[in-house]
Amino acid sequence: MTTRAELKARIETLIATFEAGQLVDAAARDGLIEDLAAWQAKRIPEYGRLQRHGAWPPALPTDVFRFRRIAAHPEEEDLRVFRSSGTTSSERSVHAYCDLGLYDVAARVAARHMLFPDVDKMRLVILAPHEDEAPDASLEYMLARFAEWFGTECAWVWRRGALDLELLTERLRHAEASGEPVAVLGTSFAFVHAEDGLGEQRFDLPPGSRVMQTGGYKGRSREVDPEVLLAAIGARYRVAAPRIINEFGATELSSQMYETTLREDIDGPPGPRRLWAPPWVRATPVDPDTLQPVEGKTVGILRIDDTANLDSVCCIQTADLAQRLGDGIIVLGRVLGATPRGCSLAADQALGAQ
Amino acid sequence: MTDDASVIRARAASVLEAGTVLSSSTIEERAHWLAEAATALAQKAHEGRAALSEATGLSIPMIEWATRTTVGTVAEDAMLALTQDARKAIDRAPDPIAMLSVILAGNVFTASVRGIVVPLLFGVPVLVKASSRETVFPAMLRDALRSADSRLGAAMSLVEFPGGDIEREAALVESAEAVSVYGSDETVAAMAACVEDIPLVAHGHGVSVAYCGSAALDDAHIGRTIDDLSLDICAYDQRGCLSPQLVYVEETPYRSATDFAERLAEKGLGPMSRTLPRGPLPVSVGAAQAQWRGIAEVEGALLRGDTFAVSIREAQPIRWSPGFRNVTLVPVSALDEALRAMQAIGSNLKCVGADPASISEVQARLAHGSTLSAYACALGAMQTPPLDAPADGRPIWHGLFRT
Repeated sequence: MTTRAELKARIETLIATFEAGQLVDAAARDGLIEDLAAWQAKRIPEYGRLQRHGAWPPALPTDVFRFRRIAAHPEEEDLRVFRSSGTTSSERSVHAYCDLGLYDVAARVAARHMLFPDVDKMRLVILAPHEDEAPDASLEYMLARFAEWFGTECAWVWRRGALDLELLTERLRHAEASGEPVAVLGTSFAFVHAEDGLGEQRFDLPPGSRVMQTGGYKGRSREVDPEVLLAAIGARYRVAAPRIINEFGATELSSQMYETTLREDIDGPPGPRRLWAPPWVRATPVDPDTLQPVEGKTVGILRIDDTANLDSVCCIQTADLAQRLGDGIIVLGRVLGATPRGCSLAADQALGAQ
Repeated sequence: MTDDASVIRARAASVLEAGTVLSSSTIEERAHWLAEAATALAQKAHEGRAALSEATGLSIPMIEWATRTTVGTVAEDAMLALTQDARKAIDRAPDPIAMLSVILAGNVFTASVRGIVVPLLFGVPVLVKASSRETVFPAMLRDALRSADSRLGAAMSLVEFPGGDIEREAALVESAEAVSVYGSDETVAAMAACVEDIPLVAHGHGVSVAYCGSAALDDAHIGRTIDDLSLDICAYDQRGCLSPQLVYVEETPYRSATDFAERLAEKGLGPMSRTLPRGPLPVSVGAAQAQWRGIAEVEGALLRGDTFAVSIREAQPIRWSPGFRNVTLVPVSALDEALRAMQAIGSNLKCVGADPASISEVQARLAHGSTLSAYACALGAMQTPPLDAPADGRPIWHGLFRT
């Protein structure tokens, strides 16, 4: 009988293999996903209720994290609980951890590979709250770890619910003056606030600087087309487009995906902008009716099998639309409402009313 | 191709003028012209079924069914009966308004028929903004009206422009004496802000449910119950506000909700997916469907077909599906329990479909209740409301006469 310790060891081995620069066997990962799913189905009744369709274990919809506790361990063993943003409890996904070891190693190895492949440490400017201000947010937890792992020094410029433009400007001017590259990391909406607040100010960040943005808007700023924001960030901070990348993460996941352009700008060859999934993760657009992988570049809904989700559910069905591009994925976002709904009650509205 | 504000104003002026000519005709003449227009519309829709399928996302058999059943309601005798009902209800000679502006939604393409035919019947000319998602059928209706009678045709004009354009929305409503809006609550709210003191007849968000009492589940009746309910679910791919989202099923010692669900899937929705196939599933809806189905499995039970799913779960909390033939069965002990559960839906509840043995009681209970404004109708007819069916708890002629 498989034990948690055995599964954890296999996951760690998978990640360590990649970190050591060796090829990760996709079949080994897929076998691990099967074993994880079987182990989790026995311990998490909600997951155990899902029926299998096709060759892969069933994937748990992300919305279930809004309504049910999804954990293989009892609540009293919770070490950290992450919640997604939202104003009511039914809008917030909850992901409880009894052990952050796998989260940490997955986050560190992926970021090292895609965000900091060329530097051991560098200056960080973070357009997000410090984890002390947002202790239940997985993004802020991750960024705090980045500060420890990858930061020579770190400025948190989102304070008490607002962007500290003065501190942001001061840190970026300091980088310009010192010639030392800086990584500017933050949420997309924080970058929009910076665009709105910085006016005519422009920066000329030193070569080697980079930008990582993540997340959606959820009403916290005006919404900006990703291409427009990419161009605006490039012009504002004078960072070349390949060095501005998106990170894709979610409260329901323990691993992150990153856009490829920074990594390819550093060690080539250049390719189209797409998301890279770490080899311990299987990211697959699936058909919404059959839940089976779609062919070629067909747009599907993104299923993510994240082996670092040991104590919750590995196989996750997101509501994001996605398509394959070469060896990567493009996430097209959520287009709810694109179909005529007419006078039908909007599902989210009704769910929110519960 | 969209119309700018000057075009919209010109069409409004033209419709207004045509209204004075139309009002000199008799009700009987208009009913006759409208019936002829309905016949012409049926022909045009048949000839243009492929284009309609493309525009609406519904399968061609569904287009044919929807057109046939909708056009069938536009009969001379039904229209004359409606005018008599209106006269009785308002208890004096009706004084029609000079012009109605209508804003259509795109989810149920035939909804434009009632929204346009009824005003014209009462001599009210209409300026119609088609949904930017579906302009084919309203154009067919306009052409059918013109072919039936030039005076009738001139009293309806169609404009197209993207929603949210304040200047063009103002042009649409400024000559109207009332505005009828079909669409989301957001659309209704936006138009309410635009119309200022012009009366607004709102047809906003809504859902419908069905009730199957124990008598509908016995061996003698279950076949018909399944057939009727399946049609209600499949019609328009469950995209309309008259589509049942929830079906309250009175369990009996001989028929559990699970048994009923299995039968609904096997004998009803499965075969209907061949006779009235679902249209292609937009991937954005598919994303919502995958979430809904997964939650249904986690919180209850789920039967999946190729193009449908039946969830069995408790009444609360309600998990609204994205439509497209994803329906929830809720086991109840009696009608009382079902009605209590419906209270949670409140004024968003538009219609309760009921089996023949239950419909009288459902009708009476809805009429005497204070919180629900839904009307009752027979299973199998939820998506084919007669011309005189109420709309949002009001008579269909609401807003067409000066008070």
